[in-house]
Amino acid sequence: MKARFCLFILFVVTLLLSTTALGHKVNLFAYVEAGKVYTESYFPDGRPVEGGKVLVYDSQDNLLLEGMTDKEGLFSFAAPKIDDLTIVLEATMGHKNSFKLKKADLEAGK
Amino acid sequence: MRGDISILSVVALTVVMAVTSPVVAHFGTIIPSDDIVSQDDAKTLNLQIKFIHPMELHYMEMVKPKQFGVVHDAQKISLLNTLQAVKGKSPSQTESFTFWTTEYQIRRPGDHTFYVEPTPYWEPAEDLFIVHYTKVCVNAFGLEKGWDEPVGLETEIIPLTRPYGLWTGNLFTGQVLLKGKPAPFVEVEIEYLNESPGNISVVVPPSAPYVTQVVKTDANGVFSYAMPKDGWWGFSALSEATWKLKLDGKEKGVEIGAVYWVHARDMK
Repeated sequence: MKARFCLFILFVVTLLLSTTALGHKVNLFAYVEAGKVYTESYFPDGRPVEGGKVLVYDSQDNLLLEGMTDKEGLFSFAAPKIDDLTIVLEATMGHKNSFKLKKADLEAGK
Repeated sequence: MRGDISILSVVALTVVMAVTSPVVAHFGTIIPSDDIVSQDDAKTLNLQIKFIHPMELHYMEMVKPKQFGVVHDAQKISLLNTLQAVKGKSPSQTESFTFWTTEYQIRRPGDHTFYVEPTPYWEPAEDLFIVHYTKVCVNAFGLEKGWDEPVGLETEIIPLTRPYGLWTGNLFTGQVLLKGKPAPFVEVEIEYLNESPGNISVVVPPSAPYVTQVVKTDANGVFSYAMPKDGWWGFSALSEATWKLKLDGKEKGVEIGAVYWVHARDMK
């Protein structure tokens, strides 16, 4: 019984940690062009994530800025610094995902 | 991973093939280095375009294709000029044959359907030319959009099952189109790619009918097959072209195939 419970806990932890697709998984994709970071937030079928909160962290986990996705699921901002950025999307009902934008991508998109 | 294929298996396979294969199915292939690109994966795909007997690993000479490209977000982009010629052979072949390879950088989310229209291949044994219009789909960054859209080839398979993220045992269903219309009651040949990247156990078919599985499309051009093993599976729907090609002044028939490749993964 104990082993079974441990397995269950492990399963729940795995689900919490993993980014595998769930029913209404949200996604955020980001790219850099002319010093500007563009983000797109969408459901797997392409519907935009509207009014999702976007949080941008640097490599030291400092929150640099935050914003909101528009009707098309878009949010863009001037590159705050050349660093490895983690862009977190928080949608309604606890749906969350993040995207790592590498320092090299920011360098290349200056 | 080729080094992992046991020599014994290959020898056994070759013997079985030599003894049992009156019919050998040719398949056009496009095999990408990954079929699901996530943000932590390499964004540069390697693609290998071959004309082979997938179960037996046999290569055939492939001249430069007529068309090769990718459809992404309803945009068709030719990648023909990026193709590089490479030589390869199966462990049982003494001679090497040409196949084609390229690298493609995934830049945007969504489905990427790679397609090839080869130059007609003359098959003296069957007294006909073979043209296999071949496709494979690579998904990127969680956006599952585009896989069910036709490329617009003379004949092609439109997946009715999302063609990635498939478990071993899943039923793959597709619709065969010929000139854009469903192709009823045509044969679909199915083979396992013994040379799958990462494949450590070569399948040795006990007799000839096991090499190529055959199903037929229904009245709506729809077929299904459940894949029993981890690895790449090829589906090839065959029709006869309404046009002919000339060889030494004589008109010859042309077999056109709609080929689609999907990857199945064990549930563990």
